[in-house]
Amino acid sequence: MEQSLRVKVNGQAVKREVPPRLTLADFLRDRLRLTGTHLGCEHGVCGACTVLLDGDAVRACLLLAVQADGREVTTVEGMGEPGRLTPLQRAFLEHGAFQCGFCTPGFLATGEALLRSGRRLSRAELPDLLAGNLCRCTGYGPIVDAILEAAGSR
Amino acid sequence: MKAGSDAEERLVRGQGDFLADLDLDALEACFVRSPYPHARVQSISLPGGRGLTGAQLARLAGPLRVDGPGLKAVPWWPLAVEKVRFVGEAVAVVWAEDRYLAEDLADETEVDYEPIPAGPLHEEAPDGVLYESRREGGDFEAAFGRAARVLERTFKTARQTPIPLEARGVVARWDGAAGRLTVWTSTQVPNLVRTVLASSLQLAEGDVRVIVPVVGGGFGLKAHVFPEELAVAALARHLGRTVRWVEDRRENLLASAHAHEETVRLRLALDDQGRFLAVDAEVSCDVGAYSVFPFSASLEPVTTGQTLFGPYALEAFRLHASGLASSKCPAGAYRGVGMNAAAFATERMVDIAARELGLDPLELRRRNAIREFPTVTAAGRELDSGDYLGLLGRLDAPYRELRRQQAEARREGRLFGIGVGFFNEHSGTGASEYQTRGITTIPGVDSARVRVGEDGTIEIATGGADAGQGHAETYRLLAARELGVAAEKVVVFEGDTDACPPGSGTFVSRGAVGGLTALTEALREVAEKDLAPGLEVTRVVDPKQVFPSGAHLAAVEVDPLGLNPRVIRYLAVEDCGVVVNERAAEAQVRGGVAMGMGGVLLEEIRYSEDGQPLASTLLDYLVPLAPDVPEIEIEHQESPSPLTALGSKGVGEAGTIGAFAAVANAVADAVQAELNELPCSPDRIFHLRRS
Ligand code: FES
Ligand code: FES
Repeated sequence: MEQSLRVKVNGQAVKREVPPRLTLADFLRDRLRLTGTHLGCEHGVCGACTVLLDGDAVRACLLLAVQADGREVTTVEGMGEPGRLTPLQRAFLEHGAFQCGFCTPGFLATGEALLRSGRRLSRAELPDLLAGNLCRCTGYGPIVDAILEAAGSR
Repeated sequence: MKAGSDAEERLVRGQGDFLADLDLDALEACFVRSPYPHARVQSISLPGGRGLTGAQLARLAGPLRVDGPGLKAVPWWPLAVEKVRFVGEAVAVVWAEDRYLAEDLADETEVDYEPIPAGPLHEEAPDGVLYESRREGGDFEAAFGRAARVLERTFKTARQTPIPLEARGVVARWDGAAGRLTVWTSTQVPNLVRTVLASSLQLAEGDVRVIVPVVGGGFGLKAHVFPEELAVAALARHLGRTVRWVEDRRENLLASAHAHEETVRLRLALDDQGRFLAVDAEVSCDVGAYSVFPFSASLEPVTTGQTLFGPYALEAFRLHASGLASSKCPAGAYRGVGMNAAAFATERMVDIAARELGLDPLELRRRNAIREFPTVTAAGRELDSGDYLGLLGRLDAPYRELRRQQAEARREGRLFGIGVGFFNEHSGTGASEYQTRGITTIPGVDSARVRVGEDGTIEIATGGADAGQGHAETYRLLAARELGVAAEKVVVFEGDTDACPPGSGTFVSRGAVGGLTALTEALREVAEKDLAPGLEVTRVVDPKQVFPSGAHLAAVEVDPLGLNPRVIRYLAVEDCGVVVNERAAEAQVRGGVAMGMGGVLLEEIRYSEDGQPLASTLLDYLVPLAPDVPEIEIEHQESPSPLTALGSKGVGEAGTIGAFAAVANAVADAVQAELNELPCSPDRIFHLRRS
């Protein structure tokens, strides 16, 4: 018993039949082959699967694909263009904001949502705003630096 | 895996090609896992022809087994055969076209268990002792005989698990016509996986190719060969299909590898000047249900025993180390391994001694630090290099500044503590060292090959495997320096047993010891021959252990209501010899310190009395989040190792080891209590303060 799903992903209209139990993360990864959205826990804690849903940062492992019906999803593959990175992606490279890179797409989505929200980001409170994303490699400092720099350059 | 200069850019674009991202048209395997800690498997009923039981799989693949002095060699089968020995152990494997369907099949599988209430886990080890050794150096009786004072304490570290953000995963493909097996696996030890797969499946090594995709963190967890790797490979051959297994976090928490559950009993003999004379140590580790491959149940008892009181001059040392079996997930390598518990126990003991003697903790360390290098310690370690007084000296000014702040904070009634963590550690363990320990399962050599392409490209291939350490960048930097070529002209290959020279992989910071030595020697020979196109040089090195060291300083404030410790300042002074790539080294230290903070403050896998694990999600197993980690200040002191080509000593574990000592001491100092058990959680602090 499949359900039909219409969703805009990275600017492109997509129409697919999907089982209702399919998560948004698995839809993106397995059906659309957008494997930049990573799975670190599949229970809503690590934030590796964070994507933008109508501009808000959400956990793709906790949503069903059918819940995205009629909405717009942006994944890491939709950030930047060929030959051009977003300011946030560039800042991640400059500050060494990752080592293994597995958490990076999730942090980019969280960061992008924060930047787009237009709120002022301070060094004192940014770590709290990032508490929904885990990184096991960096100790977070360079990630905070990168997001602050991208915020400053806007 | 080829790492071009765009490798980092690919990661920020989400084009990383981690194991689960590979498009290999595979069947999905799912393991059926035991809910019982110790039970006989009576019968298994599998859903229609899409599964194999442990007994069936045992006919396709042999077990993991490590033998050596002091060890009981117990077999660890790809799937449990007659009985299960921990919750989460796999008893059957099922497969389907997609993961959802495979999990359905696992749910439909019926297993009859008969719980075993008591009795030994392994017939081979009726007393439950999987490893035991004793060691003595110096004139132990004499040293204790003239002691002015003997202190005795027991320290405990918590059972943890590494939690790389990417869990484990493996894809296996069988090419029946060629009789060849190709395995993609998220590992730090590709050559070892190949060797073991070949012997378990009775194939020639040359018929097995192991490929490592981009790896989302390892931290020691991926330096093992696991039963699941054997099971998936055997299944692929059995079905003649490509088979994939991607671990989920629950499996990862229950059944990958745990670590660090250690009890360290120390007796320290001191003279009337506060000089340490001798140490009597009893180290016992809960190693779980099996002896992990390749490190075995000796891993933590040995590394802890070797590292205790490492930076201090002793006249004598005695050690009794053991690894005890339990109905828990097997314990393996996790960043710092037994060195964390050693640094924690040692440095807590030194603070306790300072308190008892009325001496300043930093002064007591200075009084007892080893002053001359190279030297052989009472515990038999051959320290290659160091400047320990230099390390402590760099803490002096910030330490005094923090003590002033502390006095002020205490006047205001705040719980403010300062802790020092002073340590040395070994890195780059080589083949001969492993052989002396009787361990033949670890090759212990490191290798590098440099080839000059017709177009002047420099191709580097090594026997290491990157899991986020930034090997490729370091190699490019080094090649540019040694050969005078542009870094962009350098291509790096790692983690493909067909394309790379055999080596030990990446753990115990061996990359900076044997790995960089092999690479530097190869590069230098290429330079001597003027980079002739077509030239190819391979170097294989059997490294000798070298000894990085460090002195860390932490300040912690504990809020009086919630009793939550918060690290507010952290300084790490590292001596990893010559720093080859400063950015990569500092990244290792920062990440390592954050992990060590987790070990001291948060991370713990508890089991209930009846053997049920109490942490099966990341809500129960806490790791540090962004607000938990302060800015980490890093200073380098360079005392070059005479034993490596560049003088480097490795820095992968130092951050974690130092933090285990410094943060724990700071919390104890803040709450003015003998906090000798980890983690320093609010409830532990609460009970200590009450008693
Ligand atoms: S995978 Fe979604 S939060 Fe961890
Ligand atoms: S870079 Fe590895 S988890 Fe963040």
